[in-house]
Amino acid sequence: MNFLIEPFSQPFMQRAVFAGMAVGGLCAMLGVFVVQRGLSFIGDGLAHAAFGGIALGLLLGASVSHATWIALPFTVLVSLGIAFVLRRGRMRGDVATGVFFAVSFALGVLFLGLRPVTAQSVNVETVLFGSILAVSNTDLQIVLGVCVAVAIALALTWTRLAYATFDPELARLSGIRVEALDYMLLALTAVVIVVAVKTVGIALVSSFVVIPAATARMLGRSLHRVALFAVAIGVGGAALGLLLSYHLNVASGATIILTLGAGFGLALALRKR
Amino acid sequence: MSADAPRASRAPRSIVPPVEYTGPRHFTLPDDGMQRVLVSDKVSVELGGKRILHEVSFWIPKGEFVCLCGPNGAGKSTFLKTVLGMIEPTSGSIQILGQRAGTANKAVGYVPQRKTFDQDFPATALELIVANLRGTWPLRVRPDERERARATLRRVGGEKLIDKPLAGLSGGETQRVFLARALINDPALVILDEPTAGVDVKGRHEFLEILAEISASDELAAILVTHNPAAIARCAERVVYIDGRLIAWGLPHELLGQESLSAIAFSMKDHANNLPPDED
Repeated sequence: MNFLIEPFSQPFMQRAVFAGMAVGGLCAMLGVFVVQRGLSFIGDGLAHAAFGGIALGLLLGASVSHATWIALPFTVLVSLGIAFVLRRGRMRGDVATGVFFAVSFALGVLFLGLRPVTAQSVNVETVLFGSILAVSNTDLQIVLGVCVAVAIALALTWTRLAYATFDPELARLSGIRVEALDYMLLALTAVVIVVAVKTVGIALVSSFVVIPAATARMLGRSLHRVALFAVAIGVGGAALGLLLSYHLNVASGATIILTLGAGFGLALALRKR
Repeated sequence: MSADAPRASRAPRSIVPPVEYTGPRHFTLPDDGMQRVLVSDKVSVELGGKRILHEVSFWIPKGEFVCLCGPNGAGKSTFLKTVLGMIEPTSGSIQILGQRAGTANKAVGYVPQRKTFDQDFPATALELIVANLRGTWPLRVRPDERERARATLRRVGGEKLIDKPLAGLSGGETQRVFLARALINDPALVILDEPTAGVDVKGRHEFLEILAEISASDELAAILVTHNPAAIARCAERVVYIDGRLIAWGLPHELLGQESLSAIAFSMKDHANNLPPDED
């Protein structure tokens, strides 16, 4: 029992586990729609766009923590750009995301290089791999606030979003404004990705979006069951991963993702049987 | 089939000599006094600067099963999309039960081609059918909705499919479920866009039997786009043949085997760019 209680008696672990579970659950919920639409790559694309935004913030003189506020509108704009190209350009999702991914990351590298030599040095590793154990009270409040807002938006649009995900044409014929939902889904994903980048970093955040949804897809036979499984996996994987990382004294973000990956492998093995 | 898809290769010219298009050929038409479910009035559609349909006019009375035929690229899918309100006509109009196309969605049921929807979506037949009943995807299905879906599935011989996941259905079963989905709102008109394309022989035969029952109904009108002569022979009460324009409209036996229709159609291909400009 002490195995469970001891780690979470410490405030930094309490903040980390709340932030991890909130981000894990939310990314998983969005991931259900993203994965089902064949846009699994979008998490990576938007995470790299967030890097471009953070670098822009740093160029403008903000600290790493405050640069998130620049990254937020920057990443949302990129997500809307991807949605626009997908809609107008009749382009496949991976192509559109790949282009924005590369351009945003290149901009990030350019912005970092343009910073004056006198500027405070930046630990790029923190940006790339996150620092869930360093989540502050303010960070946690932002994460939980975003969680509530995005969860409300998803709850209000769930039935329409599900229909549009199944078949945009049939949904449109039923009077659903499919285009608005497409833009909304990518914008919400962008917001959640920016928040999640602070916890698990750019390199790993897309796993939070893809792995729980892909695992749940093998377990559920209806979309809402898949969503429930995905959220449970995202939340549970974050908590279990943190616990393991504490006891094994290894990197938290990576352990969370590996835990989620193990869950995916288990579901795959059970399905084959 | 997409309206702007590349056109299929032409038939040998030697078989049918070119014939000048002198306007639509009207064979036996519906009785004027019948209630009109669909009225297409000089519908022209232009997409990306290309004329797809030019002044297509015909109407469908209540309960009539119409087969919409024509070569690849003739504008059949474009016409269906215009009926569904997904494309606005450049000129002319389509009315369904007196209302502009696209504003009477509950009056129109739609069965898409099998290949156009995500067959890997985690959903059951019941959820798909109820989604069309509600206009949104159901989180939970009420008992009355379930009973209505069951009754509609029974009508198309698919009652046992109600709780089956879509991913596990055969081609014929999938199309039965989509037909039940189209019928759940008791529409006045059902649109079937090559529903048996990609379906195995047994499934195709069974589906045609269901369509034949719909054809026998005096309540439900239908437009079936098909290249399958067996489907026309089994189901059609009237045939509309288009190729950019209305070529012919009449009873199946009047149109089937009409060499002159093919001649007009192929002659039209030769003059594809000579369609007259839009009339203001």
